[in-house]
Amino acid sequence: MSSADKIREAFSQAHGAHWHPTDAYSRAVWLGVGLVVAGMFLHQPELVLFGVPLVLSVLLTSKPRGKPAVSVRPVPRGAGAGVVHTVAHVDGADAEIAVVKLPGGARAIPAHSPDLPVQIRRDAWGPGVDLRLDHLFAGPDGLHVYGPVVGVEHVRTILPPVEHHPSGPLPPRPAGLVGIHRSPRAGDSTELRDIRAFQPGDRLRRIDWRVTTRTGVVHVRERHAEADAEIVLALDTRADVGAEVAEWSSPRYGATARPGGSLDRAVRRAASMAAGYLRQGDRVALVDLSRPQLNVRSGVGRRHLLRIRTQLVVCVQAAGWSSHVALRRLPHGSVVVLLSPFLDDEIAELAVQTRRHGHVVLAINTLPLELVPDPESAWGEVAAELIAAEHRVRLRRMAEHGVAVTRSC
Amino acid sequence: MRLMIVLAAVPVAVVLHLEATSLVPLLIVVGLTVLTVLMPGSAGPALLIGYAALAMAFADGHPVRLGVLIMIPALHLIHVTSALAAVVPVKTRIELAALKAPARRFAIVQVITFVVAAFAAVIPSGAGIGLVEVLGLGALTVVIGVVALRI
Repeated sequence: MSSADKIREAFSQAHGAHWHPTDAYSRAVWLGVGLVVAGMFLHQPELVLFGVPLVLSVLLTSKPRGKPAVSVRPVPRGAGAGVVHTVAHVDGADAEIAVVKLPGGARAIPAHSPDLPVQIRRDAWGPGVDLRLDHLFAGPDGLHVYGPVVGVEHVRTILPPVEHHPSGPLPPRPAGLVGIHRSPRAGDSTELRDIRAFQPGDRLRRIDWRVTTRTGVVHVRERHAEADAEIVLALDTRADVGAEVAEWSSPRYGATARPGGSLDRAVRRAASMAAGYLRQGDRVALVDLSRPQLNVRSGVGRRHLLRIRTQLVVCVQAAGWSSHVALRRLPHGSVVVLLSPFLDDEIAELAVQTRRHGHVVLAINTLPLELVPDPESAWGEVAAELIAAEHRVRLRRMAEHGVAVTRSC
Repeated sequence: MRLMIVLAAVPVAVVLHLEATSLVPLLIVVGLTVLTVLMPGSAGPALLIGYAALAMAFADGHPVRLGVLIMIPALHLIHVTSALAAVVPVKTRIELAALKAPARRFAIVQVITFVVAAFAAVIPSGAGIGLVEVLGLGALTVVIGVVALRI
C-alpha cells in the first residue's frame, strides 16, 4: 500500500457512516494519562487532579454500537406548492446526541427523542429537492461520532399552478367546426345526449317534467358538450428573460425558470388556459416550438390536464436556444395560442404564416414590460428602448396580418 | 456551546492571572481560548488544559488550594464543551434535553475527582515517598489496560 493510499484510508476512517473516535477521545486519553503519570513522578498532586477527570470521562463511557439512522416519512404525492408537513424518525441506537440538519437549520437533540416535525416550503413549481436530512450522531461526551452522513434526497416535481379564469376572456372558437366531432362527454350544448335519473348535483332546470310525470321518478335531460375546437398551446422556450435587461445573459440558480420571467409567465398562462379550455370540453394540445419531440397530442379530460402540466415542466427543463422554430401538423381550423416574448422576427413570421394557413392565432406576449435598462452601461437605456421599439413593431405587424395580439399576460 | 467554552475559560484565566506576576499567562490563556472557540476540534483545548495544569502545578502554594479546586471543574468543562462543540456545527439549535446525560456524567466525574482531591489533601507530600510511584504505575497499568480493551 502506497503512502497516498494510507493517508486516504486514514482520512476515510476519520469520517463516514461508522463509529470512530474523535480528537476529544485522544485528548482525554493522552492528556489525562499524561497528567496523571507526570503528577505521580513529579510529585505534583495538582497535575493528577487535573488529569483524573479526563481519564474518568473515558472510563465512564464506552464505544457505542449499532447503526443509528434518520428516516423521513414520504410527503403525500398530492401535496402541491406551499408548506408541507412531515416527520423525521430518529433511531439513535447507542448514540447520545443526534445532530440533524433540518430545513430551518441544524438541531441537536437527544438521540432517542420522538419523531421530529419537519416543515417543507415549496415556493416554486418545477423539479427540486424537498428534503435532505444530513445528520451526525455523537456518543457520550462527544468522544465517538457516527458520521457525518449525507441524507437521502427526497425529490419532487411541482406542477405549474392553475389559475381559474372566467370563460368570457377566452378567445373565440373557430366558427363552423363546433359540433362536427362530437364529444362523448356531457355539456351545455342544445343537442340531447341522454335522459337519465336525477343525481345529486344536477341542475333543477334540466329536469324533464314529462318523463318525470310518466315514470314517477325525477329525470334530467343530458346534453352534449361543445368540445370540438382544437386548441394548440405553442410554447416558445428558447429564451427566458425578465424585465431587467442586464440579467438576460446571466444564469439563474435555484429555480427551473426565472421567477416572473417570460418562461415562468408562459408556463403559468399555458397551464391556466389548458385548464380553462379542458374544463369547457375542448381538445387541447401542447407544442414546444423548438423541440417537437416534447409535444403533447390533443386530448380532453382531467388526466390530460395533468399530462400537459407535467410536460410543461419537461419543456422548461429542456429549454434553451434553438436555431429555428417549427409548428407542424396542426389540425385543420385549430386555434393556436402562441406564448412567446417575441424577441426575434422568426417567431413573428411563424405566427403570420400560421394565420395564413387558416388557423386562428392568438399571440400572447410573455415579455415583462416595462423593460429595466442596464444601469451599469452607458448604452443601457438606448439598448432597452431599442429592444422595446422592435418588440412593439413586431407585435403591430402581427396584428396587421390578422394575429390577435395581447400585449401582456 | 462555544459560549460555554468561553465561560469555562474565564475562571481559568482569572485564577492564573491572580497567581502570576505578569500578564503573559493571561494572554496565553486568552489566545488558546480563542483558538479553542474557533477550532474546538483542533489541539487548542489540549494546549489550553495542558498549559493551565502545568502553570498551576509549578506555581507556589498548597497542592489543594482554592485555585486548584476552581480549576478542576473548569478544565473538565472546557474538555467536555469543546468535545461537543467539535461535533455540533455552528448555529445549531441545541435542545437542553440533549445535554442532560453529559451534565449528569460531568457531575459524577467531579464528585469522584473531589474525593480524590480530599484524599490528596490528607496524604503527606514530599519527594521521598516511593509508595506513590508504585500506586501511580499500578493505576496507569489499569488505565492503559482498560482503554486498550475498549479501543
